[in-house]
Amino acid sequence: MNAIRTLRLLAAAMLATGPILRAADCCCAAGQTATAAAYADRSIYQLDATWTTDAGQPFKLGELRGRPIVLAMFFTSCGYACPRIVSDMAQIRQTLPRAVRDRAVFVLVSFDDERDTVAALHSYRELHELGAQNWILLRGAPGEIRELAAVLGVSYKKDALGQFSHSNLITILNTEGEIIHQRAGLEGGLAEATRAVVASR
Amino acid sequence: MKVEVPDQAAGRGNHRKFRWGGRVVLSTLTFTLTCALTTVAAEPPPGMTLIPAGDYTPLLRDKNDLAEIPVAAFWLDERPVANGEFLAFVRANPKWRRSRVSSLFADGQYLTHWTNDLELGPQAPADAPVVHVSWFAARAYAAWAGKRLPTMAEWERAASAGYHGPEAKAEPGFNAQALEWFAAPTPAVFPAAGSGRPNFYGVRDLLDLVWEWVDDFNTAMVTGDSRGAAGNGLFCGGASSGARDPADYAALMRVGYRSSLRANYTVANLGFRCARDAETR
Repeated sequence: MNAIRTLRLLAAAMLATGPILRAADCCCAAGQTATAAAYADRSIYQLDATWTTDAGQPFKLGELRGRPIVLAMFFTSCGYACPRIVSDMAQIRQTLPRAVRDRAVFVLVSFDDERDTVAALHSYRELHELGAQNWILLRGAPGEIRELAAVLGVSYKKDALGQFSHSNLITILNTEGEIIHQRAGLEGGLAEATRAVVASR
Repeated sequence: MKVEVPDQAAGRGNHRKFRWGGRVVLSTLTFTLTCALTTVAAEPPPGMTLIPAGDYTPLLRDKNDLAEIPVAAFWLDERPVANGEFLAFVRANPKWRRSRVSSLFADGQYLTHWTNDLELGPQAPADAPVVHVSWFAARAYAAWAGKRLPTMAEWERAASAGYHGPEAKAEPGFNAQALEWFAAPTPAVFPAAGSGRPNFYGVRDLLDLVWEWVDDFNTAMVTGDSRGAAGNGLFCGGASSGARDPADYAALMRVGYRSSLRANYTVANLGFRCARDAETR
């Protein structure tokens, strides 16, 4: 009985049916070291930071490899821009063809390492009805936030009230984690973003 | 009882604790007193100088920003990192060689003034400041050295000192000199790092050798931030009208310069120096 093969098949089956987001799980579950090909030269998955999900689980962006990604940086107490960004992401999702919609992952990474605790992120998920299948909410350490913002080209600054000024940017990553499109600002551009997700393999 | 300060070679983290070199049972009072004295009296890490705690007055300010931003005491390299030092880092970390570095982390001009991966050559004297380095490369070097990049507030605070006191503004001609440097062309080969005149804190070359990366270079606001387009929408107009001290044109130039950078950019006159926390937590 080849236990490893069984596990691998099981993991592949789970991946194919969609409930598991992490492509990397299939090899790790089988007890193998990750022997996947090196990341592409422009892949943001080269950032090796360990984030924490709103379920309190560790998460590396590289686990998203193989999926079309729609990603934005935000903070939960943002009153104006972030809710619009999130609802725009939801709208992009709604307009995707069914097959792509089920594979695409929507990622929100917080600027606010102090207030956006696991619990705060989880409440935000519930408040905005962000489904567990397709949305990932992440928090991280200040240096990691700074690095991710740097590769995305996001500027941000915390003010004395603990609020953040920030660029409004929705980034589309292809399956290798390369930036293939960015929607800047809060007006328009959703159709282009949707097309980029569809073309994102 | 002996209190050791973080040792440069071994240091990795920024928030290192003091280690106690003896069996001691101390009251909180003694502990506090000792730490306070130690912070002041500690031997500087080699090549670094202490910038005492104080305020940084931001040149540009949003309505929710403080007029004065408190900056804790910190250690700052007395001079920018030199080619020879950066070469040691590249030797120890092959992924930062010119031929291997990911373009996500450094653009095509990375270390272009070196002869090859591990040879400096005539354009890059070992003691000259390293340039053509990205923010990622500078950050990786700093982590490798057990240090970090200074924040913009820290860097500006150190650079706000004159030759004779903590306020460059009080010294006639100081700012004019900084502006002269902006007008001067970038030399093909830089002079040695550390050859500039030390400022009041003993820091050299802040304003007259190369531009320098800071950790939070990407704070400058661009069009479409959460405040909307008002005020900061068009950078130049917003910046000059909101500037607290328009006379400090050199500081304004730095704000503009930083906002033009991306983290993987490398530039012929952009280098860096490192910092380290001075206080234990």
